[in-house]
Amino acid sequence: MPIYRFIFFSAKHRFAHASNLLPRFGSSKRIQSCGYTKSAKNNYYKKPTGHPVVNVETQASRSSGAYFIPPILLGFGGLLAFLHYNDERRAVKIGKDSYTGSDTAVAPIIGGPFTLVNSENQIVNEQDFLGNWVLLYFGYTSSPDIGPDQVRIMAKVIDTLEAKKNLKVLPVFVTIDPQRDTPAQLRAYLKEFDPRIVGLGGLVSAVRQMAQEYRVYFKKVEEEGDDYLVESSHSMYLIDPKMKVVRCFGVEYNAEQLSKEILKELKKHQVNA
Amino acid sequence: MSLEAYASAKQDEIHTDVLLQARQACYKARDAFYSCLEKHSDKKPTEIGSVGLLYPTECKPSREDYVKNCRVSWVKHFDRQYCKTKRTQRLLDDKETRRGV
Repeated sequence: MPIYRFIFFSAKHRFAHASNLLPRFGSSKRIQSCGYTKSAKNNYYKKPTGHPVVNVETQASRSSGAYFIPPILLGFGGLLAFLHYNDERRAVKIGKDSYTGSDTAVAPIIGGPFTLVNSENQIVNEQDFLGNWVLLYFGYTSSPDIGPDQVRIMAKVIDTLEAKKNLKVLPVFVTIDPQRDTPAQLRAYLKEFDPRIVGLGGLVSAVRQMAQEYRVYFKKVEEEGDDYLVESSHSMYLIDPKMKVVRCFGVEYNAEQLSKEILKELKKHQVNA
Repeated sequence: MSLEAYASAKQDEIHTDVLLQARQACYKARDAFYSCLEKHSDKKPTEIGSVGLLYPTECKPSREDYVKNCRVSWVKHFDRQYCKTKRTQRLLDDKETRRGV
């Protein structure tokens, strides 16, 4: 914004000068018949008394014309310098961040601290997961079809990675329906898929805060008293040992694709580390 | 004391109707109902299920079985999904009957 005003102001300034200059040159042309520079000089010497007002005018217009050119050039140069400086300033603001190395695009920082209750009724926060790769899924036990499918995929991926590549990834299931999903419920539900899946629930406010940090959308729909569904984005987050979100997977990934992608991310991380 | 007892009771209560076996039963009943619908698709649907799903009287017993085995919100969810797939199928199959395209 200020750039435009500056340009406009300086342009107006310059144009005002130009419009001032034009009639004066025009008047000088009217008195002499030959070229401009020669006749101006002639004018000055040959007709000192003839047209004093016009003479002074032409002389004044010439020198005032000369006076205006350096400021205009300076103004233009100043404008260029200002634009260049502004470009430099803006470039520094966007590029550098803690995400050097692997990522060329800078993404918003997803994730953050959380304090929840696990299925053994113990309080858990994000510090407990430092040092492990974590596959995090936000779901709820009363999901009719997508929820169980995703948890099954998660269990299969964990199995594949551990059996074939000997890579330990910790699966975590955070419930976005903590009112109905008590720790006992989580335990019973997740036991059927895989005993390694950690179930996390707790207070509604704690879950809501975590969902906000991880940019997870969830909303109660079809509410009929105690019976409702929770609409959500059904995505899985891959988190590195420093508790930084590396990648987000949607429902379109099946077990093989997911394990392949996770493997890729792990390898990439090992190369960088 | 009673509040604690209440709290602990609430804590221990497990909704078994979303666990594996209940889910399997629900899926089976749902599939049975929908196959019944397919089988009798030429009959005129007279009964109305949830979210505007119509079905013929022949499928009434399988419908009852389905509703018994699944939660109400699940029934609604599956019915809505079924209607949507039916509609898109109808749009896709309708290529021959459309004129001027």
